[in-house]
Amino acid sequence: MVARLLREPLIQFLFVGLALFGAWHLWSPSAVAHGRAANRIVLTEDDVRQMTLVWVAQGRPAPTAEEMRNLIGTRVREEVLYREALALGLDKDDTIVRRQLARKMEFLAEDVSKLEEPKSGELRAWYDQHKARFALPPRASFRHVYFSPDRRGANAPRDAGAVLGMLAGQPMDAPRAAAAGDPFMFQSYYGDRGFDGVAREFGPSFARALLAAKQGAWTGPIASGYGWHVVFVESVTPERVPDFDEIEPDVKAAWIEYRREDVRSRMYQDMRARYEVVLPEANR
Amino acid sequence: MRFEFTQKRAVALAVALAIGTAAHAANPDRDAYFGETHIHTSWSLDAWLFGNRITDPGDAYKYFKGQPIKHPLGYEIKIDTPLDWAGVTDHSEYVGVIKFANDPNSPVSKLPAAQPLKIAPGKPMQEEMERIFVYGVKVLMGGPPVKALASPEIAGTVWKETADLANKANEPGKFTAFCSYEWTSMPNNMNMHRNVFFKDCGKIPSMPFSALDSPFPEDLWTWMDGQRRAGNDLLAISHNANVSDGRMFPTEVDFKGRPIDAAYAASRMRNEPLIELKQIKGTSETHPLLSPNDEFGGFEIMSFLLGDPSGRIPHIVGSYARQALKDGIAMSDTKGFNPYKFGFGAAADSHNTGVGYRQDNWFGAHGAADGMIETRMSGRLTAGMDPRVLGTAGLTGVWAEENTRPALFEAMQRKETFAVSGPRIRVRLFGGWEYTADMLNDTAWVKTGYARGVPMGGDLPPAKGKAPTFVVWAVKDPTSGNLDRIQIVKGWTKNGQSFEKIHDVVWAGDRKADKWTGVVPAVGNTVDVENATYTNTIGAVELKKVWTDPEFDPSLHAFYYARVLEIPTPRWTTIQAKQLGVAPPDVVPPTLQERAWSSPIWYTPSADARKGAQPGTTVAQLKKSGAAPLNDAQLKALIVQKSTWLANNVTGDKYEIVYGASGKSGKPAAPIEPTYVTQQFAANQGQFWLRFVGRKTTLPSMVGNALEASYLSTTAPYYINNGKIVTSQVGTPIEITVYKAGGKYLAARSNEFGYANYEIIPAVAELNPLGPIGTSPKR
Repeated sequence: MVARLLREPLIQFLFVGLALFGAWHLWSPSAVAHGRAANRIVLTEDDVRQMTLVWVAQGRPAPTAEEMRNLIGTRVREEVLYREALALGLDKDDTIVRRQLARKMEFLAEDVSKLEEPKSGELRAWYDQHKARFALPPRASFRHVYFSPDRRGANAPRDAGAVLGMLAGQPMDAPRAAAAGDPFMFQSYYGDRGFDGVAREFGPSFARALLAAKQGAWTGPIASGYGWHVVFVESVTPERVPDFDEIEPDVKAAWIEYRREDVRSRMYQDMRARYEVVLPEANR
Repeated sequence: MRFEFTQKRAVALAVALAIGTAAHAANPDRDAYFGETHIHTSWSLDAWLFGNRITDPGDAYKYFKGQPIKHPLGYEIKIDTPLDWAGVTDHSEYVGVIKFANDPNSPVSKLPAAQPLKIAPGKPMQEEMERIFVYGVKVLMGGPPVKALASPEIAGTVWKETADLANKANEPGKFTAFCSYEWTSMPNNMNMHRNVFFKDCGKIPSMPFSALDSPFPEDLWTWMDGQRRAGNDLLAISHNANVSDGRMFPTEVDFKGRPIDAAYAASRMRNEPLIELKQIKGTSETHPLLSPNDEFGGFEIMSFLLGDPSGRIPHIVGSYARQALKDGIAMSDTKGFNPYKFGFGAAADSHNTGVGYRQDNWFGAHGAADGMIETRMSGRLTAGMDPRVLGTAGLTGVWAEENTRPALFEAMQRKETFAVSGPRIRVRLFGGWEYTADMLNDTAWVKTGYARGVPMGGDLPPAKGKAPTFVVWAVKDPTSGNLDRIQIVKGWTKNGQSFEKIHDVVWAGDRKADKWTGVVPAVGNTVDVENATYTNTIGAVELKKVWTDPEFDPSLHAFYYARVLEIPTPRWTTIQAKQLGVAPPDVVPPTLQERAWSSPIWYTPSADARKGAQPGTTVAQLKKSGAAPLNDAQLKALIVQKSTWLANNVTGDKYEIVYGASGKSGKPAAPIEPTYVTQQFAANQGQFWLRFVGRKTTLPSMVGNALEASYLSTTAPYYINNGKIVTSQVGTPIEITVYKAGGKYLAARSNEFGYANYEIIPAVAELNPLGPIGTSPKR
C-alpha cells in the first residue's frame, strides 16, 4: 500500500515540493522570519543593508538616521502584526487565505514540472505527435495591379477584369502590367511576405485569396480593403513544419508549457478523485 | 485540443524568428508602426480587484502578437490585427501586492493593512469588489502611502520580472517590447497619471519611481532627469487629461503652487514629449464648450473624476489638449516658454491584459465589472462609470526607420507619432515653404516631404515664402470604414488671446465647400442602426493634398495638426444592442466616425517677423501709466443694468453685452417692478446677455458657445467680486478687470496672460457695413 502510494506521481511531487520548501526555509536569505522563537524578532546587518540599498535604488540620497529608524520600525511592525495575526488564527476561514493556499498547490505543480528535463528521445517523440503547432505560416511573393474605387467607383472590378484579359500570358515584369491600373500607396511587389504581413497591409480576406490563387500567371481580380487587384503570385512557401533540429529550443519551451498544464491537470484529477462532493438538490 | 490551439501561434511566431525569416530592412522614408502604450495585467492592484487574476505581462505580449488569451471571466479574447510594439504599464504603486499576497510565504498576505482588501465572506461579490476598488482608489492611490503594503523588496522584484518578460517578448525587427510602467498619481481624485517608457531595458533603475514616492509630476520629472543623467534614457506620456479636473494643463501655477515658468516648461517638455489623446475612458482632444465651432469636437467625450467623489463637478478648462496647445503658444508669445508642445498618441488603459480596439470586438476593460455583454449594456455603474460610455481603445502610430527599441523611442522623442481611435488609419503630415501642388504626383513624394520641410512633431524651418504649405496624406485601415475627410486644425495666438480654426483640406467624393459658409457637407451615412451594419459605398480609400494656410500671419505663433475622419460606422453599443435584441442606448450616439490625429507642427515667428505684429495693451503698461482698476462700486455703476458695447481690440470684433440687475436682499419689489424676478438671485449675482456675435466673429479661447448664445438669446450668470466681473466655464472662473485709462475703459480677461484686449466703445449702429456689392465688408 505504502509502496503503491510512493509510486503515485502526486505523492512524489508533494515530496519534492516539501523538500523544496524545507530547503528554502533553511537557506532563504529572507531575514526576519527566522527563529520563530515566540517573542524574538531578529534583524541582521544584511537586512538593514538591503533596506538601505532599496531606498537608494530609488534615486534618493542615503537614508538619514531618522529615515532609517522609520524603515526598521515599519519592518518590525510588519513582523509583530504577522505573528499576532497567526496566533489569533486570522488565517483560518478566510477567503483570501483559502485562495492563496489553493494557488500555492498549483504553484507546487508548476515549480516541480519546471525541474523536469525531458528524457532522451522524449522531446523528439512529443514533437512528432504535436507537429502541427510548430507550423510556419505560409509566405508569398507577388506583384499586383491596383484598381482604386476612389478613381473608378463601381467600375473598379470591371476595369480589373479587362486588364486581366489584357495581361493573359504576360510575365510578371511585363511593362504593360507596370503601366496598367492605378498608383498604389504602398508597394507593387511584395517579396516573401508572411500571411500576417499581407493581412495587415491588405486585410485578411485578400491574404487568404492570395494564398489560394493560381501561381505563375496573372489572376484575379481579388478584392481587398483598398479596392480590386489583379495579382501575379510568383511563389508561395506553403505552411511547413520545420525539422526538429531547426527548432529544438522552441520545442523544449513548448513541451515545458505543455507539461505544466498536464501535470496541473492530472494532479488535480488525482486529488479530486479522493473527495466526495455533496451539492444542494437544485444544483446536482 | 484546446491547449494545442492556444499554443500554436506563439510557437509558430517564435519559430519563425529562429529560422531567420527576413525582417524588413531599415526604411529611410519610415514606416508606421502601431503599438500599445497603456495596458494593465493582474499585477496591477486595481486590475486584480476587477477580477483579473490569471494573466500577466507575458500574456499581454502574447495577445498583442496575435495569440488568444483568457479574459478575466475565462473566455478567450483575440486581437484582430497583431501590433508591432507595446509596453506593459502596470501601476507601480503596490505593484505585486496581490501577486505576493497569493504567495503564503510572503508577509504581505498577513498584514492588517491588507484587511480592507479582503472580500468579506457572505457579502455579494460584486458589491465587495466595488467597495474594495473605491477603497483602493481613495486610500491606496489617493491617500498617503500605506508603507506596509508598498514594500520595496516586492516592488523591485516585480519590476525585474516585468523587465525580464519584456526582454523575452522583444524581437527586434518584428515586435518591440518596452520596459515601462504607470506612475499613478491621483491626489484628490484628480488624474495626473503618466506612463513611463525606457529606451533600453538594459538601462533601467532597480525600482520605478511611484506615486507613493511623490504624487507631484514635477518630482517625477526631477527623478527622470536624474535617470537620464545616470544613462537611463526615458520619457513619460500623460493620459486622461479629460479626467484630471482641469489640473493636467495649468497656466498659472504648477501642482506645488509655484508659478509656471521657463524651468517648468523646460522640465515638462524634456520629459513628456507625448500625451495619450484618446483611450477607453474618453478623448482629451477638445470639448464642445471649448471648441463650439468644431462640428466633430464631441467625439467620445467623458468628463469624470475617478473614484466618483460626492459633490464634485469635473472642470473642463485645463482638461483638453487643443486648449493646452493654444495656451502653450500664447505663453510662448507672452512669456518666452511653452510647456505644452506635445505630440499625440492613443492607447487603451484596459485592465484585462487584452484590449478591444474595434467596435465589433469589444469585451470591456474592467474585468468582471464590464466583461459580460449584459452587465455592459445594462449600464451597471462601476464606481460611477457607465460602461456604455466607455469607448474602444486607441493606438499610437510611430513613423520610424525600423521596428526596434531605439528607432521607435527616438521617434517618440521627436514626436513623429500619431493617434488613432482604434482602426489603423495611417496619416502623414509635412510642413514646409516649398511644397508644390504637383508634388503628390511623384511616387517618391515622401522623400521630398522630408527633404523640403519637417514631419509631424517638428518645427517649421525659417520662413521662405508668404505662407507655409502642408502635405497631408491618409489611407484607411483595410478592415474599417472608408475615409470622409482630412482636416487641419490650426491654432494661433495674438496678444494673449488664442484662436482655433478647422480647415477641411481634402475630402471624399465631389462635395463642394459652400461658397459663403465654407462648410463641406457631411459625407453621408450608410449605417443601418437596427442591424448594426454599414457599407463602404461612400468615402475614399486614400486622401492626400498639398494645402497652404489661407490666413497666415507671419508675426503670430501657430500650430497645425491633421485630423482624419472615417465615414460613420456603428458604435459597439449599437452592435451589442443588436446582439441582445434591445434598443441601442440613449446615452451615447448610435454611430461614430473613427479618426486619426497627427502630432502638430509649430510655427515660431522670427524676431523680424514679430516686429510686424501690432502690439497690444498689457495690464502692466496700464498700471505703469497710472490707470487704476475699478472697484466693485465703480464696476456696478459702469455695467449693471446697462447695455455695453465692446470691441475686442485683437480681432476688431464688436458686440454688445447686457449686464442684468443683480439680486438685492431686503424687501421684495412689487410684480410691476422690472426687478421683481431678479431679486430672487443672491446679491451681486446677475445674468449677462451677449448679443450680435456672428459666425465670422473670431472667437478667442474660453468664451463658451458665444455664437449660440447670441442667436438664442441665452444668458449666463456673472458676479462682481473683489473688483472683478466674474463668469465661469464649468466651474473655472474667468475674471475681468476693468481699467480707466485716458478717458477709455479697457478690460483684461484673466485667461489672456496679462493683456487688456477689450475696450468699451460707443454703440454700433450698423453691424455689417456693405462695401461695393459682392465684396467682403471691411471691419
